[in-house]
Amino acid sequence: MIQILLWLPLAAGLVACLAPRRLTPMVATAGALGALVLALALLADFDPNAAGLQQVVDESWIPDLGVRYQLGIDGISIFLVVMTTVLWLAATAYSAIRTPDRPKTYFLMMGLGQTATLGAFLAQDLLLFVLFFDLMLLPMYFLIGGWGEGEGRVQATIKMIVYTLVGSLLMLVGAVATAVLVADGGQLSFSMADLRANVLPEDSQDWIFWFFAAAFLVKMPAFLVHGWMSDAYRAAPLPVLVCLSGVLAKVGAYGFLRIVLPTFPDATVQFQEVLLVIALASILYGSVMAFTQTEARLIAGYSSIAQLGFITLGIFTLRPDAANGAVLQMVNHGLVVAGVFLIFAVISERTGSSDITKLGGLASRAPVLAVLFLIVTMATLAIPGSSNFIGETYILIGAFQDKVVYAVIAFAGVVMAAYYALRMYQRTMHNRLPDGLESREISFGPGVIIGGLVACIVTLAVYPNLILKRSDDSVTATVAAAKQQDVDLAARTSETSP
Amino acid sequence: MNPTAYAWLILAFPLAGSIVLALGWRIWPGRAAGWIGTGTIALSFLATIGALLQVLDHPVEERQFTDTLYSYASVAGLKIDVNVLVDPLSIYMCLVITGISTMIHLYSIGYMTTDRGFTRFFSYLNFFVFSMLLLILAGNLILLVVGWAFVGYASYALISFWYRRGTATKAGMKAFVINVFGDVGLILAAFFIFRELGTFDLLDIFSGARDSFTTNQSVAVTICLLLLVGAFAKSAQLPLHTWLPDAMEGPTPVSSLIHAATMVTAGVYLIARFFPLFELAPTAADIAAFTGLATAFVAATIALVVTDLKRIIAYSTMSQIGYMVIGVSIGAYSAGLFHLMTHAFFKALLFMAAGSVIGAMANRQNIDKMGGFRRAMPFTCVTLIIGALSLAAFPGTAGFFSKDEILVFAAERGGMYWIFTVGGYIVAFMTAIYAFRIGFRVAYGEAVEEAKELEGGHLHHAEPANPATGELEDTDVGFPGPEHNIAERSWPMRIAMSVLAFGALFAGWIQVPGIDDVVHNFLEGSFYSSSLYNLEIPNSAAYLGMIVGGTLSTLGILVAYWLYLVRPGTTAALQRRLRGLHGFLEHKWYFDELIDLLVVRPALATGRFANNVFERYVVQGIVVGVTDVVRGAGAVVRGAQSGFLRSYALLMVTGFAALGLYFLLQAS
Repeated sequence: MIQILLWLPLAAGLVACLAPRRLTPMVATAGALGALVLALALLADFDPNAAGLQQVVDESWIPDLGVRYQLGIDGISIFLVVMTTVLWLAATAYSAIRTPDRPKTYFLMMGLGQTATLGAFLAQDLLLFVLFFDLMLLPMYFLIGGWGEGEGRVQATIKMIVYTLVGSLLMLVGAVATAVLVADGGQLSFSMADLRANVLPEDSQDWIFWFFAAAFLVKMPAFLVHGWMSDAYRAAPLPVLVCLSGVLAKVGAYGFLRIVLPTFPDATVQFQEVLLVIALASILYGSVMAFTQTEARLIAGYSSIAQLGFITLGIFTLRPDAANGAVLQMVNHGLVVAGVFLIFAVISERTGSSDITKLGGLASRAPVLAVLFLIVTMATLAIPGSSNFIGETYILIGAFQDKVVYAVIAFAGVVMAAYYALRMYQRTMHNRLPDGLESREISFGPGVIIGGLVACIVTLAVYPNLILKRSDDSVTATVAAAKQQDVDLAARTSETSP
Repeated sequence: MNPTAYAWLILAFPLAGSIVLALGWRIWPGRAAGWIGTGTIALSFLATIGALLQVLDHPVEERQFTDTLYSYASVAGLKIDVNVLVDPLSIYMCLVITGISTMIHLYSIGYMTTDRGFTRFFSYLNFFVFSMLLLILAGNLILLVVGWAFVGYASYALISFWYRRGTATKAGMKAFVINVFGDVGLILAAFFIFRELGTFDLLDIFSGARDSFTTNQSVAVTICLLLLVGAFAKSAQLPLHTWLPDAMEGPTPVSSLIHAATMVTAGVYLIARFFPLFELAPTAADIAAFTGLATAFVAATIALVVTDLKRIIAYSTMSQIGYMVIGVSIGAYSAGLFHLMTHAFFKALLFMAAGSVIGAMANRQNIDKMGGFRRAMPFTCVTLIIGALSLAAFPGTAGFFSKDEILVFAAERGGMYWIFTVGGYIVAFMTAIYAFRIGFRVAYGEAVEEAKELEGGHLHHAEPANPATGELEDTDVGFPGPEHNIAERSWPMRIAMSVLAFGALFAGWIQVPGIDDVVHNFLEGSFYSSSLYNLEIPNSAAYLGMIVGGTLSTLGILVAYWLYLVRPGTTAALQRRLRGLHGFLEHKWYFDELIDLLVVRPALATGRFANNVFERYVVQGIVVGVTDVVRGAGAVVRGAQSGFLRSYALLMVTGFAALGLYFLLQAS
């Protein structure tokens, strides 16, 4: 099943490519829908009380290099996979309604993107992960460059490629180095389980850690390596942005949990503070930037930097509670940011702009759109009662136990989120209607798509345990590995100090 | 039935009402939405009475019940359930909230009849009541925070209900952001509590605190101060009060709801609910009490000079909440909560009467432009005077008994607490003056044109304009007027106001020193563990307090009579003579300007710096640096690249394909 899930989107993309032009969007949407159904079947099959991998596929692939075709799913990835299929379905369906130029290539690229992303979440072999991770870049490059908006789109894609490619190459080097050093002249193995079992000596961990961290931080993006974000977000077609911001950014955070923490536990403990500072800087900087922007894409973009800052904070607090919050928050943020981008897709389609200073008063004839937008806004600012609030609470309460100062400062981000999210809503839906704009209700198709996302948001708000209860065991086991090193380290220093 | 079963019903009715109204926004004919909305709250009120009767069956010390619906978010050592706590305190609050809210809903059916957002209004209103009830009934701190934040959101939605008005949306935003600031205080308090006691459940917190905290231990004080940040933001105490006067941008029933039954009382409830912690942190409790007194004083001084009818009443709310905060902070729990109830009656009534007057004034709110409505609007004026009497604590009215109880308790507690007695009476004197500043200005004096027109049977109409800016309203969405209703012409409004007027006059008689003690005895089930709860107050002291209070109130009313009716020019002369002071008060002690200077401007400046300098030079600088390096490297292999997008793409595809092919071949 996991295999079909992985390759179905690409297959659907290929079929869509070959199908008559009229059917292309429908085939692609059907493929995305099929992927969602499979993901839900996986979820139904999922045993919440097992910490280890489930649905494992393990085939030898390149024996000389020790590369295996190894897939699996656990409590960390299960909901990320489900979210990926939900968001891709939303983006594909939305694109299908407003069929773009050259639909065949477009939908092929969408399918390829989904397969690559799912691959990254499912891969249990380090090299396989790296391969999928890099493969994600390719369709994004085409989609933004080929269907993007504005003169600057080529520039924007090149900037994005340069940034992420640098990160990816470093990671590739890191992956190879890890395997070679672990093998130590013996049989190479890229299997994550093997790498986890034979941890590298601390000094090697220290530099390889940063190779991986670079790739993941750029992908999220985190503070100071987010230079590609603003141009890419401005240029990308909005449905593509749903995938880029909603899902691809999460792969970075996921990589920390899946690879960095268990494979480089000593380095993780060693650089914990550095990563926490980066997380905090992302929260503050993202929030401050978000409230000076007027372009809705960038408000959402910078708020994503802040949100991923929270997620990083949760991961590197190295506590089960905070890390569970981080996993929950990855899903929450994906859903919310997808909602924002699709809503602005609807709005800018009619008004030709997603600049909030040029909008206003749209709520009067569009109560359904207003309500959907409102729920998404409230979830964005993590109002208590939303699942985002529970995510943030878990993250912050974990941080609060061990790193009080970080937690308290991070709260500034919570207050600022209230302002910039509400401002985005208010400037769009409320106040006077500018001349030349017309308030119209959302049409049926987009309404169903956004309504579906909102339904997911509301369901999680009512019952966040749905995710937490399944993520808990895997997350706790992952964090415990790093925590163990922490204890060892403390023991060692206390031995040596007297 | 179990008391907790009733609690779930109390919550279910308004929530269901809100959702049903929202989903059926196109279906409900005429005023059906209004009746549905009113009905659900009335049902909630009945459920509260059911819970009350159940609880009364148990002995005083066994009147606390909890019940869990489902596990909300409980992993990794945290336990967060959806659970309720039903005890005398929560039932008492629910009675006040649902009772008063039913009347406000009823009033709104008349008041909002012609508003285009009629259904939307009732949906919001029901949601507001649901949020408040959730806050009150929550059995753990996280759920309490949820209710707390929902109240903040609901107030935002209702304050900016007429969302085409720039001033309304701005006011809504202000209320929301200040409330979120308060939420953060509360959440931090929750985190501290969790770290120290390892639980979020209220009853466990209270028993845990008694076991593990010593008096005035710094962590207990910190927790209480953080709780106070939340309480002050919600209850509009200094310096987090600036949103409350602006909240007058909402329709008048909203002001009534926010000020009487919901929202601002939440802070008072919070302090009362966490009394075991505050008694372990007397320093924090004293800070709260002093803030309450300062707020009561500052708000009263402002209420003496502002001219907007609704804003005068808004500042009076701040001032009265100050009394309640003093009460629950110094240990006069039953007195503070008693005042909460009597205040709910007369404040809701005052706003309703004001709404009726504003209707007759075609939406203008400046009291300098009003006068002589007593013949044109006899019913409205009678209820207005009743409300003002109760606010002024005139002997025999509801406000009289409750306010005195707080001040006498302070005196009896001795030590420095006499300050609150003296300060409280000074404020009470000012309260009487401004209460009748409203009463005399509106009802008596020479009839203005609108009043004369109304006497002739014609309701004054005017172009709908924003009373704050004079800007013409956008009539596309709902707006107040010109088809405004006055109480004289709408029976639902009249019924609601009559019920509240009855309460404003007589609700105080359920607790008269030396005669009966209904509220005190009932609340004992929540506060029996407090050492201060049964502080003996001799009847002689209580009666002395009542004499002082009654005298000051009467004096204040006489002063107002002299100032506004006998010598109407005096106030203008005073304004001229004390121009500096008047300006200072008219600018509301410059709190808005202070917050602007200390918070808003630095935040915006940081944002601009980040955007214009940091992002442009540092972050993009890195980009340029990286691309330069790549370009430099690229120049070497330029021959292989054509630089066009498609060629890049082609290159990448072939590259990947070749790579894939290689690995595939390797594998086989």
